[in-house]
Amino acid sequence: MRIVAVDPDSCVACRNCEYTCAFQQTGDFDRARAHIRVAYYPAERACVPFTCMHCAEAWCMEVCPAGAIARNEETGAVEIDAARCAGCKMCLLACPFGNIGFDEADGVSGKCDLCGGDPRCVGSCISGALEYVEVEDAFAFRREALDTRLRHVLRLDKGRP
Amino acid sequence: MRPAGVMRRHVAIVGNGAAAISALETFRTHDRDSRVTVASAEPCTAYSRVLLPYYLRRKVPYHHLFIRDAAFYRDFDADLLLESAVERVDVGARRLEFADGRNLPFDRLLLAPGSSPVRPPIPGLEGPEVQHLWRLDEAGRLDHLFRQGARALVIGAGFVSLQAVWAARQRGLVVTVIELAERILPTVLDDAGARILQECIVASGVDLHTNTRTEGLMRDERGTLRVSVEGLPSFAADVVIVGTGVRPNDHLLAECVEPAQRGITVDDTMQTAIDGVYAAGDVARGPVVGGGPRTVHALWPTAVEQGKIAGANLAGARATYAGSLSMNVTSMFGVTVASLGRFAAEEGDTVVLRDDLPGLRYLKIVVREGVPVGAVALGGAAAATALGFLRPFVRQRVPVADIEAVVTGEHVAGRIARGRAIGRVVPGGSGS
Amino acid sequence: MSSEREIQQTLCRMCDDRCGIDVHLEDGRMVDITGNRAHVWNKGRLCVKARAAVDMVYHPDRLLTPLKRTADGWQEIPLAQALDEIAERLVEIRERDGARSVSVWKGEAIGFGQQEDIARRFIHAFGSPNYLSNDSMCYAARYFGYKLVDGGWPIADLENARVIVMWGANPPHAHPNMTQYITAARRKGAKLVVVDPRLSAIARRADVHAQPHPGTDGALAWGLMRELIRTGAYDKEFVERHTVGFPELSAYAATFTPEMVEQETGVPVATVIEVAALMGDAAPRVAMYVGNGLEHHENGVNNIRAVVSLDALLGAVDREGGNRFVEPAPLRTLTLYDDVPLTHLGPLGADRFPVLYDLRQECHTMTAMGAILEGDPYPLRAMVLTGANPLLTNPNTERVRRAFEALDLLVVRELFMTETAALAHYVLPAASFLERSELHTHAKHQAITLTCRVCGFPEVQDEYQFWHDLAHRLDMGAYFPWDDETALNRWLLEPSGLTLEELEAHPEGVTYSPLTTAPLERGPFATASGKVEFASRYLKDLGYDELPTYKSPEYRGTPDDEYPFVLVTGARKLLYMHSRFRNIARFRTAEPGPEVEMHPDDARALGVGEGDLVTVTSRVGSVTIPVHVMSPAEIRPGELQITHGWSEANVNLLTHDDRFDPISGFPLMKSVEVRVEKV
Repeated sequence: MRIVAVDPDSCVACRNCEYTCAFQQTGDFDRARAHIRVAYYPAERACVPFTCMHCAEAWCMEVCPAGAIARNEETGAVEIDAARCAGCKMCLLACPFGNIGFDEADGVSGKCDLCGGDPRCVGSCISGALEYVEVEDAFAFRREALDTRLRHVLRLDKGRP
Repeated sequence: MRPAGVMRRHVAIVGNGAAAISALETFRTHDRDSRVTVASAEPCTAYSRVLLPYYLRRKVPYHHLFIRDAAFYRDFDADLLLESAVERVDVGARRLEFADGRNLPFDRLLLAPGSSPVRPPIPGLEGPEVQHLWRLDEAGRLDHLFRQGARALVIGAGFVSLQAVWAARQRGLVVTVIELAERILPTVLDDAGARILQECIVASGVDLHTNTRTEGLMRDERGTLRVSVEGLPSFAADVVIVGTGVRPNDHLLAECVEPAQRGITVDDTMQTAIDGVYAAGDVARGPVVGGGPRTVHALWPTAVEQGKIAGANLAGARATYAGSLSMNVTSMFGVTVASLGRFAAEEGDTVVLRDDLPGLRYLKIVVREGVPVGAVALGGAAAATALGFLRPFVRQRVPVADIEAVVTGEHVAGRIARGRAIGRVVPGGSGS
Repeated sequence: MSSEREIQQTLCRMCDDRCGIDVHLEDGRMVDITGNRAHVWNKGRLCVKARAAVDMVYHPDRLLTPLKRTADGWQEIPLAQALDEIAERLVEIRERDGARSVSVWKGEAIGFGQQEDIARRFIHAFGSPNYLSNDSMCYAARYFGYKLVDGGWPIADLENARVIVMWGANPPHAHPNMTQYITAARRKGAKLVVVDPRLSAIARRADVHAQPHPGTDGALAWGLMRELIRTGAYDKEFVERHTVGFPELSAYAATFTPEMVEQETGVPVATVIEVAALMGDAAPRVAMYVGNGLEHHENGVNNIRAVVSLDALLGAVDREGGNRFVEPAPLRTLTLYDDVPLTHLGPLGADRFPVLYDLRQECHTMTAMGAILEGDPYPLRAMVLTGANPLLTNPNTERVRRAFEALDLLVVRELFMTETAALAHYVLPAASFLERSELHTHAKHQAITLTCRVCGFPEVQDEYQFWHDLAHRLDMGAYFPWDDETALNRWLLEPSGLTLEELEAHPEGVTYSPLTTAPLERGPFATASGKVEFASRYLKDLGYDELPTYKSPEYRGTPDDEYPFVLVTGARKLLYMHSRFRNIARFRTAEPGPEVEMHPDDARALGVGEGDLVTVTSRVGSVTIPVHVMSPAEIRPGELQITHGWSEANVNLLTHDDRFDPISGFPLMKSVEVRVEKV
């Protein structure tokens, strides 16, 4: 299975991925509606993209009381069926990475579905920070070195994790 | 291949809710061989109790209440017995006895029969207008009673009751809530959080009375129910929702219920004191995160987790449960309410209170010796997300140096930046 | 019935990156645009502007019929009538005021390329030397900087560099897919240095962000040269064999001590020394790229020359990982500068800015305003303008407006009713890049792509057809013998040995000559001396300094209490390209309007917060605009930035059209003295 691997050391927070994803979801460019987000910390010049990793044991899927979350057998994506979603937000509480969003207008949760196996965020990543790669290659993709400034802003120096 | 003439092992699952389903699914990942029977007191395939208030709100259509269909039981090779309420478990004979006199032998057993609502001793609390919101048929009856402009009395201000109130308001009912205790939602929110929600409830036009006793109900000459409430003029009610708590269906294995406790005691494999007999979900009094006395956490996620452990062990795996962690979330009266773990501060705890974080009206985190042990959050969807970020720290008892970095997700950015969270790198995924 | 989806492969021209795209059509109508994964340049990646081309082409405000201004407002007229009338007016004006009173102006709004050369051909065939374009404010100054030193503009070999230096360039917003080449180098361990007064998007990934005051880049470049010479870290063999003017350069550099550089530029001594050391260690694998940020200053060309000289000191000229010369595409020339030279007619601005005309055959648009309004040096009466919107993009908008209103004939070819089109006598619908078939060169890869006509509208002519039809009405059809753009493309391509059919079969680009890594074996540099010229005899003969001397920007002189801030204009934003795309609704959601970028200390001193309105006033004019309070790291106190192209708060109401770089004639747009008042 392939996932959207992220490389903060290459990201410039240009927001193309967020706009593209928001457009896929809504036809508009409201970044809050994107299922990929880039955290940007100007003082430290740190840019970190976040998106769903489609966990092997996806707790959001297991705890959904509406049976609205399922794995797409073809792409491996953990997907939310908006028609079944009750909007209880249990999945938001279940995700330790903050990768599930909530559509207030429709009252349903939403998350990355890998665009059916061709994630548009990757196609719009002009820095190359996002790659759609096999899970086992996700490691090699990332640069080993991590900026000290990034380490600082992300509180890595202050304790675990 | 099984030697000819040897009977297939038979696993019985009592109940058809979150714990039962989760157990069946997990069991079959280990054991495709044994015979499995699922015995349900209800007449239908598995449905989600959590969704009933959403059904009343018309957020979820009736057919989406069912989270598994008949094909599911076939796919997982389980016999589903409907309308088969178990009356007694004969542990010695290793068989279930049903209310209608049938019985069913088992080799291994999972008790996941859930809990049942409690009806308080209030005079006159009967009639077709008086309903719990617990079972599917009750939700169906309430749906008929929810007519625009109808007058509703809700007795009790717990989690399900208040969701019923919110649904009633959404449907245009006139709602009065009477709660005997001093405040709403004692098991879900702290005092300050409860006050905020209470303001929202009142603002939505609900007549809410705490610290108030419902004295009784009578029918007037036209047959309408009239409610007598301490300190208030009597009033008419077209629908009465009784939401004064639930009790585990632990009578099925009374010998495993400790004196003055509720729930069937289980160890960290979800096994009861009886070999090969397991319990999970609302009926189980099991281990909790961080040690401490065993507790019944009558919550959907706990039922799912416990069912997974029980299902694995029914198949002979050796899964152990790290313990349940209370977690609640819903949106009602325009606010997302979420809580996690132990949010009532005790002596020696540090309490972090914030009202300045984006999307959060109120955030309280209780920290014990540097480790967050529980939290309450109210606000937008960010309330659920923030506690989602915090949950692994509570669960794994990890000290947090910078709470704000956690609840805003910066620590996740850090983990991603270090490659720890890329792909399926987090051991065991996002769950336990 | 699900409709058939078809994909056509062509190039995106929403900016000048020229990315390969897959255009998805259903029943002939475009429904999506995705990246062409095989394309040499972008490798399938696209910024979000590309998909918006669908919205642009089918926009409800799209101009699809010729319009004529009448006393009662716009009147739709048939295309043939419009062309007849325009031709008639052009002849009248030529007869009355001479051919040179007629001009053409090319802009970028439709994705330029062949458009430029066709327009140049037309105006020379007509008998006027007055070809005007946006290039007299963008691009050309950099070309001069490189041409004057290296004899040509080599391409930064980013992905093979060990040190990359971005001078006043922000690829993620300006040339999005250049960013992936920088990433490729960084993944191999390259260091990134970004020289920019602002913390631009690319600066977020910089190992070193040097933040000079606007317009002081030359001092930094000189300081770096001094360090390299002082430490002996320059490429002595290259300098010896391939350059002229090193003794003069060396002597002049001596005064640029790190302390002096810090004082002048604000870049700390330690940073100057660090960057020089990085460069020295990595040489010759140092790839420097100069952006538009260095051009709009009083000393722009010389600052750029100083940077280019630095390349040569590092030996990073025509070397892998440095700057590499590329072979030009072997295409026919469409312009008529050899056949019909018209310098005797006095191309506008050629006398005052001889380099601009001599090296680029560009007339000077600011001089053109004087020609229209004051008849200085001679009257300019008519203009045919294609895909340009000078009312937002040229400096001193009020004067531009007066000038355009004073023209006897203004014809504008456009996609939309722009601020400029609104002043025209005739507005003709222009074809977008998806409605034309043209040849494009990807110099970096020495490859050619043929774009294809994906869609079209009945009354909308492509560029060639328009100039062809007009030329034939003016008895100059002999210069436009090709029936259509395909015939033209075939003629242009002939010398290359490639065929249109080959290009059609390979929308990912066809290499016209293999990339060579034969450093310095191409023979002499294309300069007068045949060498890299630290000192330029050519400039000296024109009365300029021989060396790229440094001149401190005027605002750095005596403090001006009346105009205490220095305003940079024109920083690129991801979603907009100059004045384009403000009508794409979702872009407005993301970047809703103009703003003045300000340091939080300045905002506090002015008593303003995010979104509060201020009035920004220069000696030229003023605008009222909301404040965007930046993070302290993103901009320096006392410095402001406003991006151009917003009619709501047009920053070119503030910019000078009478203060120029003396070599390029570029206007001062990136160091404008202003004051700010809370509204």
